[in-house]
Amino acid sequence: MKSEFAVEFQDVVKLFPTPEGGQVNAVDHISIEINQGEFFSLLGPSGCGKTTSLRLMAGFEWPTSGDVLIDGEKMGRKPPYQRPVNTVFQNYALFQHMTVFQNVAFGLEMDKVPNDEITRRVNEALEMVKLPGMGRRKPKQLSGGQQQRIALARALVKRPEVLLLDEPLGALDLKLRKEMQLELKALQEQVGITFIYVTHDQEEALTMSNRIAVMSRGKALQIGSSIEIYERPNCKFVADFIGETNFLSGTVKAIEKERVVVALSTPEQEIKGIGIGELRIGQSVAVSIRPEKVHLADDDGSEVVSQGFPENQLKGRIIVTAYIGSDTRIVVELGPGVRMKVWEQNAISTLDPEAYYSVGDIVRIFIPYDNTLVLPEDTV
Amino acid sequence: MIPGQVIEEPKRKFSIMRLFRENSRAQGLLLISPTNIYLFILIVLPLILVTILSFLSRGTYGQVEFKFNLSNYVRLFDPLYAKVLVFSLLVGFGTTVICILVGYPLAYFIARAPARQRSLLLFLILLPFWTNFIIRIFAWMIILRSGGLLDSLLQWLHITQAPLNLLYSPTAVMIGMVYEFLPFMVLPLYTSLEKIENSLLEAAADLGAPPWKAFLRVTLPLSIPGMIAGTILTFIPAMGMFVVPDILGGAKTILIGNVIRNQFLTARDWPFGAAASMVLMLMTMVLTLYYTRKAGFGEELLV
Repeated sequence: MKSEFAVEFQDVVKLFPTPEGGQVNAVDHISIEINQGEFFSLLGPSGCGKTTSLRLMAGFEWPTSGDVLIDGEKMGRKPPYQRPVNTVFQNYALFQHMTVFQNVAFGLEMDKVPNDEITRRVNEALEMVKLPGMGRRKPKQLSGGQQQRIALARALVKRPEVLLLDEPLGALDLKLRKEMQLELKALQEQVGITFIYVTHDQEEALTMSNRIAVMSRGKALQIGSSIEIYERPNCKFVADFIGETNFLSGTVKAIEKERVVVALSTPEQEIKGIGIGELRIGQSVAVSIRPEKVHLADDDGSEVVSQGFPENQLKGRIIVTAYIGSDTRIVVELGPGVRMKVWEQNAISTLDPEAYYSVGDIVRIFIPYDNTLVLPEDTV
Repeated sequence: MIPGQVIEEPKRKFSIMRLFRENSRAQGLLLISPTNIYLFILIVLPLILVTILSFLSRGTYGQVEFKFNLSNYVRLFDPLYAKVLVFSLLVGFGTTVICILVGYPLAYFIARAPARQRSLLLFLILLPFWTNFIIRIFAWMIILRSGGLLDSLLQWLHITQAPLNLLYSPTAVMIGMVYEFLPFMVLPLYTSLEKIENSLLEAAADLGAPPWKAFLRVTLPLSIPGMIAGTILTFIPAMGMFVVPDILGGAKTILIGNVIRNQFLTARDWPFGAAASMVLMLMTMVLTLYYTRKAGFGEELLV
């Protein structure tokens, strides 16, 4: 009987001593529940604790406090070779003195699987990663992408409960990385094993994952689906880290249920948006507006209707335009030193220069109320 | 142009400058010529001289007579010398094996030590080289002699009752040999072990290998190149060693190195000494080649 969760972190803390004699909180009171069969990503900048979290699951590190559970069982100080998980390492960590076949067979030999079954399963695994017939080569004779697949086959051949992947595509070039992303996703659906994927590449995480934990400084800031963390980030860090956004600073003026009125500092006007988290009147907030979620219009000279509902309005002068094909990236100056990125989709095909905005144009920016997120200023 | 017409290259005057400018082979030879000259003067030339010498014979007063004969080589098959040769082989082999057994854990320990301590530990391994080799071997006399440091210590600890009489025995020679050659085993082993990434051992553990299995399947095979290099650096000089048996072995232990030295310096029979040198060199060469072929020297794992 399988437990509901493949992996569970119960208030896990991991402290590392620093050379100066202090301690650093690599993992700071993290609680995560990862479902069976899920593709789960740990996403964050380097040093955020994502790799340490993965190593805590693999058993290379043991928590300072709290518990790591795999398939409902407390791992405690169980060594890696007794855990039902396997790892794909960032640098692949293939055994150079063994052939590809011996590499993939290694884990099965450790489990004392009979020889004929080893041969069968290794060949199956090599076929699964699309490298059949490569068994007799040495890893060094293979390309980076092929070595990556061998590392994957070596981990998957043991049919673990959970597969841990530590930035496995980091060393590949962009094109190959994109291919492998889709392949990994398809493979995960095919084998049905829980994948836990560590990456600093947000696009990679968004593409592949069922759910993502966005991490920073040892904390899991937000756990949710790709759509949730992009459309409803729960703090300024997540809004900033995932995709691109504009921040306008201001203070909360009024709260009407989930609708929050913010008095912006520059330009001096009001804006309405969806409040995230606990907000109170007078609090400093950051208003997050994604560059693709606004509309531009020529200025008609009329008064800016700042309390507009359903749409907010801002006014400014274009200072940069960059045509990149699918859309034009525009920077609008709203006031002294306050700029806003706007991505205007090129929905109509035309050569007429009049159809495009140019530098110096005075424009009006329309922002639907629910595209305007009011986030508390980060305390950390 | 008429088809089939042979176009003659305009004849050019031979110029050495042009040769080096246009011929990359000539350039290469020129560039390595300092090495070649060095090798020729210090290795090839002496070797030719020793080879010629080994076929000549000794005159009545110890001079070399230019009379070609094979008697020097025949003399080496005399049981007296054959026994010395075999014994030298055993000592060389034993020294190497003990150096591996003692040196491996030492090299492993250094390679796994924190990075800051490693250079200090390596420094300690090399520290004895600051003192003259012969003085260090004399120091072992003080340690090993009857009632010396080792005897006193063992008796004080009540491990032994009577003196061990170690000095001037084959055991003393082995101790001296291992002491002398240990660093030459430890350093290449360390180089091999230190290169093994920790992630490989983590991968082995991750795939289900307990530490001792990870050692046998990953660490040990990856350290073989260092072991081969260490064996070559230990076995070859150990075969020709004469200082250690002279000082620690007394008159009782004679290695082929002693025979050669005595022929040149004491017996003044240079041709026989040269023949013994040739046999020692050929024997060492054949064994080393055989060993490195067997162990896979020259593969991509070479240190």
